[in-house]
Amino acid sequence: MPSFRNFVLALAATFLAPWLCLVVIPHAKMKAQEVQTWEDKELGTKSSYPAGTPNIFQQGQAVYAREGCASCHTQMIRPTYFGFESWRPGFGKEGTRDNPVRIRETRPGDFLGERFAYLGVQRVGPDLSNAGYRHDEQWHHAHLYSPQSKREFSVMPSFRHLYIKRKVRGQRSDDALSLSGELDPGAGFEVIPSEDARALVGYLMTLKKDQPLPPWLLDGEEEAEENAADGGEKSK
Amino acid sequence: MTDDKKADEDILRRAAIDRSTRLPVLFFFTSAAVWLTVAVILGFIQSVKFYYPGFLDAPWLFFLNYGRSNPAFMGALVYGWAIQAGIGVAIWLMARLCRAEVKNPMTLLVAGHFWNLGVLIGVVGIFAGYGTSMEWLAFPKAVWPILLGAYSLVVIWLITMFMRRESGEVYISVWYILGACFWFPWVYITANVFIHVLPGAAVAKAATNAWFLSSMIFLVLVPLGLASAYYFIPKILGRPVHSSQLSLIGFWGLAILGGWTGIQKLMGGPLPAWMPAVSGVALILILVPVLAIAINHHMTLRGNHKLVETSPTMRFTAVGALMFTVFCVLSALCAFFSLGKFTQISQTTTAFQLLAVYGFFTLTIFGAIYFIVPRLVGCEWISGSRIQMHFWFSTYGIVSLVGLHFIGGMWQAAAYAQFDAPLENAVSAGRPYAIGVSVAWASIAISNLIFLYHLGLMVLRLGRRGEGPALLGHQHHAA
Repeated sequence: MPSFRNFVLALAATFLAPWLCLVVIPHAKMKAQEVQTWEDKELGTKSSYPAGTPNIFQQGQAVYAREGCASCHTQMIRPTYFGFESWRPGFGKEGTRDNPVRIRETRPGDFLGERFAYLGVQRVGPDLSNAGYRHDEQWHHAHLYSPQSKREFSVMPSFRHLYIKRKVRGQRSDDALSLSGELDPGAGFEVIPSEDARALVGYLMTLKKDQPLPPWLLDGEEEAEENAADGGEKSK
Repeated sequence: MTDDKKADEDILRRAAIDRSTRLPVLFFFTSAAVWLTVAVILGFIQSVKFYYPGFLDAPWLFFLNYGRSNPAFMGALVYGWAIQAGIGVAIWLMARLCRAEVKNPMTLLVAGHFWNLGVLIGVVGIFAGYGTSMEWLAFPKAVWPILLGAYSLVVIWLITMFMRRESGEVYISVWYILGACFWFPWVYITANVFIHVLPGAAVAKAATNAWFLSSMIFLVLVPLGLASAYYFIPKILGRPVHSSQLSLIGFWGLAILGGWTGIQKLMGGPLPAWMPAVSGVALILILVPVLAIAINHHMTLRGNHKLVETSPTMRFTAVGALMFTVFCVLSALCAFFSLGKFTQISQTTTAFQLLAVYGFFTLTIFGAIYFIVPRLVGCEWISGSRIQMHFWFSTYGIVSLVGLHFIGGMWQAAAYAQFDAPLENAVSAGRPYAIGVSVAWASIAISNLIFLYHLGLMVLRLGRRGEGPALLGHQHHAA
């Protein structure tokens, strides 16, 4: 065995390389990601990418994290060389089984401003990258309260503990869940979402990871340069 | 005559060293075994919840939802059991191989209590809704300094023992233990600081999480497990390791490549494509040191396979070492796009983690515990058939669990890949396999309840006295 000092130095040397390359440098590089804006001359619209996330996002993501949603849901649409999941109806904003429409794969910019990218551990339920397009808030609340009431085959647990059952005082609340059958809280009672449930659904409604990309990201490098010269304008 | 006297002194000295480690090592073993029991019970619950959310679904049991019980179970298994038991084995091995007594075990006991406190806060915290949902880092953010402090105390202690060693020659197991001493703090601090403390890009944090998980396996659990295997296989055979050259290749190969692995988990994800690619390459290259290790173990064992049948330590260690090779080969295969796209985000992930943590590490550590504990408490394991049952239920459980998760995950991913089939097909595709996994969990849970009971009797010194060691298939016969 080499001396203890040399041994530790050798360990440090071997570990330093992957540590720098896979952790430190990516963190340093990705932090400096720029927001790019461009203008479509024909339509006269201005766009920017990444567009960032609204406030409801952070609160909702905290609930998403602590309930462990990422154990079963991904937020990662893989490119076409991994298969055709970007055509799956329901993963994107439109498209049906007969007329599928491709949604683009997720890109680093889609996670700008998030605390952690919950790319997912397993894909048991559907991908949620674009969950915001699929249903309205009422649907999400009913689904979280009792997933099987919306989809019989679902293996998602109920998140009843995010909802409050209470006596109706005066008028029924606007946001009370419309429940029927076994779930009906009974006459004179209503089920309303808690703050956490509201935040979670607000978060789900903002999940739209398909913002339009600047033309130079879409069309390869050479065309990108042309586009930039034509009127696309890169700025911080 | 002088030789005999020297041998006697040697034995007495060794017994004295063993005795000096008794308190801390037994503390780590018993609390780890309790955590293991918690983990396997949670493992069973979360495995049923995985396909049948109505299981144990009383309103006040909402915290058992899969999203919370799954990370809690993993935390209890990895931090409560695996690392803690590994520390116990490391202390004992270090004392024996350096011929250094543990002079003041209080420090180690304090470290052990803090470690357990950290894990307890972590697991309860996840159930109480403070989890972070990051793999192997799901404990609430406040926990990591406690765990780090406790581990650092142990590290300082191990290094002091190493510095006090008697002879100049250093055995390969000690290399691995020193490696784990060095890597765990670095990996753990890096992951927690970059993810929890520093601001930064969300995607880079996800990549660091994937890197952390793999580094924990290859640079903490694997070294501790191999340290044990490298000691006990030659020890029980009574012959030296086949080739010290191969041992060195194995060690440095792992040191060079281990830190590069992990990010292949996010292949096709929103990351620069070179990151998963480099990790995938490292996982394939790591087969070279793994082959060196496997050949070394095999050649050491050659011609003595009979001992695998009779010695509990040998049997657990040999099967654990075999699982290590299986784990590395499967990981390398799944580093390819063609297979990896089916395994990266499905039940197969669980199969890999459990193959490493339970299949390889836990079985190896069981082997070590069966050897060490009788030498600490001064009595023998009560029954060979109980050890036999522990072995078979555990092995049967983990092999079927990994197989089912592996195939079930691929099956489910393939169902999701059929983009024009209804969602229902994809969701239900993994279900039959998940049901099978619960049966496997039940088997593992039974095996570990037997183990906990047996270990408890030993710690209370209710073991057999005066006869030979408990052997498998030769109950109550002297060796």
